[in-house]
Amino acid sequence: MAHMTNPLATPDQLYRRHSFSALPTELQDAIFFSAQCLTQAAGILLQLPQSATAQANVILARYWLVEPLMTYEFSDVSAAAIYLIAKVGPSPRSPRDVSNVYAYLLSTSSSFFRSPSSPPPANDPSSYYLSDTAYQAFHTRVLAIEARILYAINFDTHVALPHPLAITYLQALEFLNTRKEKISRRVVEYLNTALLSPQMLYLTSQPNSLAVAAIYNAAKDLGTKMPECEWWEVFDVDREELGFLVVGMRSVDGWARKMREDVPKMKEGMVTRKDIEGEMENRGLHVGNGHEEELDAEAELARRMDEKVAEMETGV
Amino acid sequence: MASKGKSRWADDEDDAALEAQKKRGKEEKKRLKTEKARKLEEEKKAREVEAARASQAQREREDEDATRPPTKRRRLSPDRENTTATNTTGRSSELLRFEGGAFGRCRSVENYDKLNDIEEGAYGWVARAQEQSTGKVVALKRLKIDPKDRGGLPVTGLREIQILKDCDHRNVVKLQEVVVGEDTSKIENIFLVLEFVEHDLKSILEDMPEPFLASEVKTLLLQLASGVSYLHDNWILHRDLKTSNLLLNNRGQLKIADFGMARYVGDPPPPKLTQLVVTLWYRAPELLLGATRYSQAIDMWSIGCIFGELLTREPLLQGKNEVDELQQIFELCGLPTEETWPSFRRLPNARALRLPAKVPGAATGSAVRARFPLLTGAGVSLLNSLLALDPDKRPAAREMLAHEYFRQDPKPKVEAMFPTFPSKAGQERRRKRQTPLAPVRGQAVELGSVDFSGLFTGRDKEERGGGFSLRMV
Repeated sequence: MAHMTNPLATPDQLYRRHSFSALPTELQDAIFFSAQCLTQAAGILLQLPQSATAQANVILARYWLVEPLMTYEFSDVSAAAIYLIAKVGPSPRSPRDVSNVYAYLLSTSSSFFRSPSSPPPANDPSSYYLSDTAYQAFHTRVLAIEARILYAINFDTHVALPHPLAITYLQALEFLNTRKEKISRRVVEYLNTALLSPQMLYLTSQPNSLAVAAIYNAAKDLGTKMPECEWWEVFDVDREELGFLVVGMRSVDGWARKMREDVPKMKEGMVTRKDIEGEMENRGLHVGNGHEEELDAEAELARRMDEKVAEMETGV
Repeated sequence: MASKGKSRWADDEDDAALEAQKKRGKEEKKRLKTEKARKLEEEKKAREVEAARASQAQREREDEDATRPPTKRRRLSPDRENTTATNTTGRSSELLRFEGGAFGRCRSVENYDKLNDIEEGAYGWVARAQEQSTGKVVALKRLKIDPKDRGGLPVTGLREIQILKDCDHRNVVKLQEVVVGEDTSKIENIFLVLEFVEHDLKSILEDMPEPFLASEVKTLLLQLASGVSYLHDNWILHRDLKTSNLLLNNRGQLKIADFGMARYVGDPPPPKLTQLVVTLWYRAPELLLGATRYSQAIDMWSIGCIFGELLTREPLLQGKNEVDELQQIFELCGLPTEETWPSFRRLPNARALRLPAKVPGAATGSAVRARFPLLTGAGVSLLNSLLALDPDKRPAAREMLAHEYFRQDPKPKVEAMFPTFPSKAGQERRRKRQTPLAPVRGQAVELGSVDFSGLFTGRDKEERGGGFSLRMV
């Protein structure tokens, strides 16, 4: 059964993520979404099969449900997830390849997360040239995060994807009497988009439910007739969960559009920790841990003492 | 992706309708919940007023739960009130629920007390330990990590963990959990917590004064075949089956261990698998001849070697190197011919092979019968099929389970009736192994041009010699 099931997030883990983080939910979601998109882009440039990249997406989501978002640079975590999954799977990629791809995607030459209306950026090879020191540093960071990810997910790198199940279900439904290619493509599109959903659908539902919801959505889009009975029960999905997933899958597109309007940084390439810290400052919120606060307090004290001294000096 | 101009997603009306439907559902749930909370409150008051009726109120509440539809979707936030805790007692669903468990951080190795080392060496470090909270005795196996390896954590170790996590069979050693060293800022010490099994077959065979009885050999082989059949059914190749990797507990149960070489394969098996697998003495001829596309049959060859070892207490084919191993294989199983192994000439290392010309009537066939004179006819046929040179002719593990050999007298011995052996891993150190180590990654050995033409010359002379033969004609 292991090939059809995934470990799921516990209600407690999901609750903690939203309630105990210093970051507002919409920023958490923006980070999650952009890191997942970055992972997908890297998977394409690394010529990994989508089955591997999708697994990296799921591993990344699991990791961030256990560990705080701001511990490591988001792009480094994405790189570590993809490196790890490629390594344990049938298509390993060298650290050098991974680092080159990420250097390019994060450079000013890449069109990743640029506004689609603006012209593609000029190709400037020096912007993604990686010095040996920079490469070594990246490599070391990725290896440290790789171990950290494994620790956080208890070394369970197993991810069951709904894609093959969905095709099997479509066959059982005789492709709902439409063109095989058309409906299969739409189903796979829904499943891949769901990977990016900040609702973390892959961590809250088992593959069979995701597959059925994607089929339902695709059939709706194509206007094909579905069986009149409660056909999803044949695939062990109940109506309520199906309804939730159908809405969840459909909402990603609209949500992502709005989010990219709301967070201006999302049009200037991959978000970084620095961007988020800046954004938090703009909102008058404080991000960071106790240590930094302590430093701030010290700095504040020093400033006051300086002022006092200055006052006394002018007074004299 | 989301940045394309026109939305690929369906019409907004539909969307809105669904949204509304979801909202309605939510409101309905909310209403039910508040109503329930209210009812509970009332009941509480009622209980205060009339304590004697408390039991009846309880019954009413239970009835109410039974009529309410249960919430079946996983709740995404933990309920802070206790009221919903009773929800789970709703009607049982007729749908199949898939349980995949949860995920979370590893525990620390400090949850275990070390009792004693079991072995240390090229295989890594294994110790017997006790879990503090339960008192359960386990085996702790430390994952060997080379800090200089810039590839990160070893992929073999990660595969072993993943495969063991996915396995659940009585003849496969159980991985209880993975724990890490106390300092989690840098993950450097990783331990596999495995079920503790008292012996390995290798040390038992080395120490036992008399070989296993025929009935005992059958029981061990059945368990081995059953475990391997489970692995193969789940698309796992073990790739390092040998007696030192087979554990035996004091209740006669055999467990397959050490999945450091194991991997998942599909059907057809992927091309370009590494040929550097399986310890030399248990390595199938197609691997020795350089095949990179191989299948479950390589594990079946190893089972054949183990079968022979169980009968004699000695490893069956103790080659000194790849060439010697092949030579020993051909001596025991006969020379490959176009009939017995049609495709062998196409294997990379087979081209340079010079085999003796076929002499009609000469004894170039299998010598298994002569090597195991006490084995029954069915036993010989099973061993011969496992040691078939052509991988396609070896039986699958599942087929092996149904073999005539296991149905004939003496019947396989009941596991519980198995003899016990002095517990070694308890306190004593294990003896140093003499088996060569499993191959390490690197350059495969080229056999080069090998001349086996002298292999059977001795036999020809034997036949011609005028000595007596026990054979009745």
